[in-house]
Formats: sequence, C-alpha cells, structure tokens
Amino acid sequence: MRDILSSTRTRLRRALRGGDSDDDAVTDDGRVATDGGTAAGGAAGAAGTGGLLDRLDERIGEDFTESAVFWLPPFLLMGLFVYGAIAWNFVISLTDYQGFVGPDYSDLDFEMYVRAANDAGVIEATVNTFLLVVSFTAVALAFGLVLAILVDRDIRFENTFRTIYLLPMSLSFVVTAQFWLWMYNFNNGVVNILLGTVGIGPINWIGNSQIVLWAVVFALVWQFSGYTMVVYLAGLRAIPREHFEAARVDGASTLKMYWRVIVPQLKGSTISAAIVLMVFALKAFDFLYSLVSGYRPPNGTDILATKMVREAYSVNNWAYASAIAIILFLMALSIIGPYLYYQYSKGEL
Amino acid sequence: MARLELDDVRKVFTDDDGSDIVAVDDVSVDIADGEFLVLVGPSGCGKSTTLRMIAGLESVSGGDIRLGGRSIVNKKPQNRDIAMVFQSYALYPHMTTRQNMSFGLEESTDLSDEEIAERVENAADLLSIPELLDRKPGELSGGQQQRVALGRAIVREPEVFLMDEPLSNLDAKLRSQMRTELQRIQEDLDTTTVYVTHDQTEAMTMGDRIAVLDGGELQQAGTPLECYHRPANRFVAGFIGEPSMNFFDMDVEGDRLVGDRFEYALTDEQATAVANAGTVTLGIRPEDIAVTVGSEATADNEFPTVVDVVEPMGNENAVYLGFEADPTNPFVATVGGMRQLDADERVVARFPADAIHLFDGATGEALHNRALDEGAEVEPRV
Repeated sequence: MRDILSSTRTRLRRALRGGDSDDDAVTDDGRVATDGGTAAGGAAGAAGTGGLLDRLDERIGEDFTESAVFWLPPFLLMGLFVYGAIAWNFVISLTDYQGFVGPDYSDLDFEMYVRAANDAGVIEATVNTFLLVVSFTAVALAFGLVLAILVDRDIRFENTFRTIYLLPMSLSFVVTAQFWLWMYNFNNGVVNILLGTVGIGPINWIGNSQIVLWAVVFALVWQFSGYTMVVYLAGLRAIPREHFEAARVDGASTLKMYWRVIVPQLKGSTISAAIVLMVFALKAFDFLYSLVSGYRPPNGTDILATKMVREAYSVNNWAYASAIAIILFLMALSIIGPYLYYQYSKGEL
Repeated sequence: MARLELDDVRKVFTDDDGSDIVAVDDVSVDIADGEFLVLVGPSGCGKSTTLRMIAGLESVSGGDIRLGGRSIVNKKPQNRDIAMVFQSYALYPHMTTRQNMSFGLEESTDLSDEEIAERVENAADLLSIPELLDRKPGELSGGQQQRVALGRAIVREPEVFLMDEPLSNLDAKLRSQMRTELQRIQEDLDTTTVYVTHDQTEAMTMGDRIAVLDGGELQQAGTPLECYHRPANRFVAGFIGEPSMNFFDMDVEGDRLVGDRFEYALTDEQATAVANAGTVTLGIRPEDIAVTVGSEATADNEFPTVVDVVEPMGNENAVYLGFEADPTNPFVATVGGMRQLDADERVVARFPADAIHLFDGATGEALHNRALDEGAEVEPRV
C-alpha cells in the first residue's frame, strides 16, 4: 500500500516539475514498456493529441488511471453511502429538523449539541456507554486471557474446549439477549435459582437500575470472552516455547513468568481484540433492544445508541438524534483513530 | 559451582498410541566442578533431552541427577540454580538488554537494584557489549543477541551453565570467534558447564571432556583426543573427525583380513585382538592413509587405486580413491594442500599398520585402536 502511495507521490512530483524532467519520464516510460508494452502509446499521446486521459496519465501516472476501473466504483460507493451519509447526518444535526416537515438547511447552528450537553438523559447515556465499553472490554480481555492461558497449557481436549468457549460468539445478539432475559428472570431464572441454593437472592437483575448495566456487561462478556480467548491463544502460540522455558530457568514463578514475560508480548493481540470488543460494545443497541423488544431499554442501561434511536423514531427529533449520532461517531473515532495511527506507525497499514 | 552427577538418567516419552519411546537410556556421567562437558551426537540422539532434564524442563523417568551431592530431580527449574543458553537465544523481545539480563537476578535473588545493576554492567563489560545495554533484541544482530543471551546466563552466577547449541545460528566466521571467546569466559568464571552440540569441531575444541551419545545411549565419555584416537566403538570413531574415518567390513582369516576388495595383513598383536571375532570392521582415518604417485603397490597393505574426486580445501586436499579392481564406494584420504592430484590418476594407497582401528563386526566394539607415540596427550587436560 505504502509503496503504491510513494510511487504515486514521486510520479506526481515528477509531473509537477514539468518540462525539465522529461528525460526522466522517458526513461521511466522506457522501463515500463519492458513489462507493460503500452508506454510507447502513452508517450506518443502525451506529445501529441493531449486528450483528457493522456493529460491525466501525464500528471498522475498510467497505473493510476488504468487501475481506476477497479478502485473507482467501490471508492464512489463508499464515499457516497458511508462518508457521504456521515456528512449529511452532520449537516442534519446542524438544522432544527423535527416532526414530519423536511429539514431546513438555511439556518445551520450547533444548537442541538448545546441541547445535548445540557440534557441529563444524554449525559447519563454517555456515562453508561463509557462504563459499558470500558468494563466490558476490560473484563472480556482479562477473562479471555485467563482462559487462553489455561487452554494453552497442553490440556486434553483442547480443541473441544476452544469450540465450546467460542460457540457463544456465533449466536446473534437477539438470541443472547432473550437467553439471558430468561436466565435473569426474577422468579424462575437459572441465575436466581443457583444463587438461591447458596442463600443469596433472589435479585432483580433487570429491574434494579443499579445492577442491570453490570448484568448486561456479564451477558456480553459471556458472549465475547471466547473470541478474546481465541485471539490470545493465537498470540500465545506465536511466542516461542523457549521464552517460557527461559523465564522458568531464570527463576520466575508461573505467575511472574506470565506477568513479566508472556503478557507483555501479547500487546498486539490485546490491542486488536480490544478494538473489536469496543466496537461491539458501542453497537450493544441490538442487545438492549431485544432485551425489552422496544426502544426504551431497562432503567439504568440507556446508552447513546438507544437514546439516539429513541429520539429519532419515537419522537421524531431528527436533528437531535443526528447530533447524538455524531457524538457516538466521535467516540468510536476516538477509539479507532489511535489504533489506525498505531498500525500506521508500525508500517502495517 | 558444584559437581554435577548424572546417574542412570532415563527418559521415556509415551506416544499417543501408548507405545514408549526411550529418548535417553541410562546415561551416567560425572561432571567435575568447573569442568566443561560437551554432549555431542547426531540429531535425535537424546542430547538436548538430557540437557533439558538437567534444567528441569523435562521430567526424569528414571535415575538421579545430583548437583553438589544433592538430588535436584524433584526441584522446579527455578529452584535449581542453573542458567541456560538457548539455541534461539530466547531473549524477551519487549525488554532491553539490561532488563533481559537483570530479569533472572530480580526473580531468583533478593539482591538490591544497585547490586543487580553492577553485576549486569560487569557481565556486559566481560562480553564487551556495554553499548548495547539499552537496546532491544530486535535491534541487535545475531551475534550481539548471542552475547546478550550469554550475558543473561553469566550474571546469574549459577552453579551450572547449560548451553543448547548456542552457536549454531551464527555464521561460520562468527561461530569460531565466539567459540574461542566462550572458552575464555568459561575458564575465567570456572563454572561447571554442559554444552550440547552436533558440531564435532565445537566438541573437539571446547570441551574438557566430551560425551558422545547415540540413540539415547552414552557411547563414550572422555577427553576429545581420547575419543578421537581411542574410540570405544565404531560409532564414536565415525562421528568424531572430519572427514570421517573410512570403514571396511572384513573377514578374519588367521593373521589376515579378507574383504571384497582387498586383503590386509595384521601384526601379531592385532591378530590376537581379533582372534575371537568372525568379522571385523577395519577403520582408518583419512589423514593416516599414505598416498604415493608413480610407484607400484609392492609391499603388504599397499593398494593400487584410482583418484575419483579431489576436494581442495587449501591446507589439504580430500582425495576420494577407488580400488583399481572395484572402483565403487571410494574411500577418502587427505593429503597436503600443495600435492597435485588429478581425477583418474593412478596412485598407491598405504594403510600403515600402526594407524588402523579394528572394530567387532557384530557389536561395533573397538577391539584394537591405533598405536600412539609415547607421551601423546589423551589424558584430561585438567
């Protein structure tokens, strides 16, 4: 990728330098001719007719325009439907669009963002989103790491365990939500029955706004720690056996060996798993939606995504919902951005 | 520093289908305090397994390993007071050289930070790598990583160094340099060392003693020259020495050996040694074969041969010779580098009586070893 970029850049620079670099361009074309065989036409065109394509070729280089057939359609589709939609959403958030009359683009301001900053509901949803993302990611990572370390210790039926732990990942959020709704049932849910046998409870998991968020986090951890385990397991397998042995011969206890030698080497796995988990946590809307089959999630679990959908489709506050969407987008960007930069600085992008 | 004793050490791996594989078969070696023992053998001979059992990375199926008189078989690796250098170096990639070298001291001792820092710097000076202390393994060359791995073992000041083919990832030039340096360091520190290698140059040059293993069994333990000149059996004779010793299967007929391609007259002493064996293997080292050009094979034990291939090495030429009567399966002789020999040239090869080894044809046991000049050094150098 980088190579292509840099070669495009040098071509651009060469093209911009203009006349005195012609010799250069010819030798370059000559070299291309040996593999492509189309250089002669290109060079002749540049000297002669000077059509649009030829001029583009001259400016940017032949590969760029010739390969447009392949990259242009997805580029346009992505640009329109993803980035265009985001941009349009942003514009809508600047209007006062609500109800059934279309948006008025003549009067743009940041009123909706001011309103969001002063809305206790949005602030609570932001806090909940933050708590959900952080606690879910941290617990799922820690739990997955422990599972991976246990499974990595050459146990019997390793593949079976791996499949069992990974299986919840294959379920849809809707299934998980319904499943845990039954598990958390106040009267006859498995969780309360089990806790009842040791004299605890019954606890109103879903109804108590203090604990419902943690009940949701637990259910999500149940679903995703298998995935974290697989990512960590791959990371552990990439660490040479000698590192474990060297640490043991060096006198480290098992705990110290993992803590000081093995876990630090799992940085890459941690980052990539954390990104996936965070993105899923931000998308927990479907889980909460199916938990209650409606836009109003249990008290204490309102996150930005549910708040946004409710504002848009329950009360038709389109502009306000768009503003919340942009806030959510910026939160997601603040997670992905540093990751992309990290990848870029390591030369993997 | 301490004496390390291996007493009938045995390792049996159980396969998935329940069958047993004996990797190390009752190996007994005593390694004196400060001694440098080289475990040498072909791939899969059990030398690495033996080393790993000493380190505690493999359990011991039978026998005992004693360090300083006390059994360490049931101790965990971290409590054995040993340091190991791995073939792949196994440096922790997320730590700097300094952290890599301090790690063992931090984990295995309760030295203060200053003492640890001092020991690390001393070791770095000894290995002349002080400028690498703040770099990470990824920024070091293979040779530098090797030094760091060595430094990590040295700072520990353990009872025993274990080295698992530590030089085999280096290029030839660097390897011979490090070989000398490793020897110097071991002599300075005077720490008991067990060194595993498949490279017989390393075995010959580095060890106070070498232990030759094959198929999990100890073939011979002795000084390098003992193993070279007085091999206990045909395997040791063939394994030690480059190019390898030439072997010929022969039948014993009185004081003569009769083979497919030539006959060999034995001295009285040799004839007595092989009297009870039906078949023997005659062995002779390439450098002991005398090659003469332009004369006829007249005396006993001189054979007319044809040069097959000449491999010039500079200091010597390895010459592959085929018997004139039957030039298949040529044997190898080495001659001086200045000797001009060409392929298809007819030469006379003489097998001097005092240079031949005789091994039992069935068991491979040495029946007779070559004569040595008086005072030739085969006793331990220590």
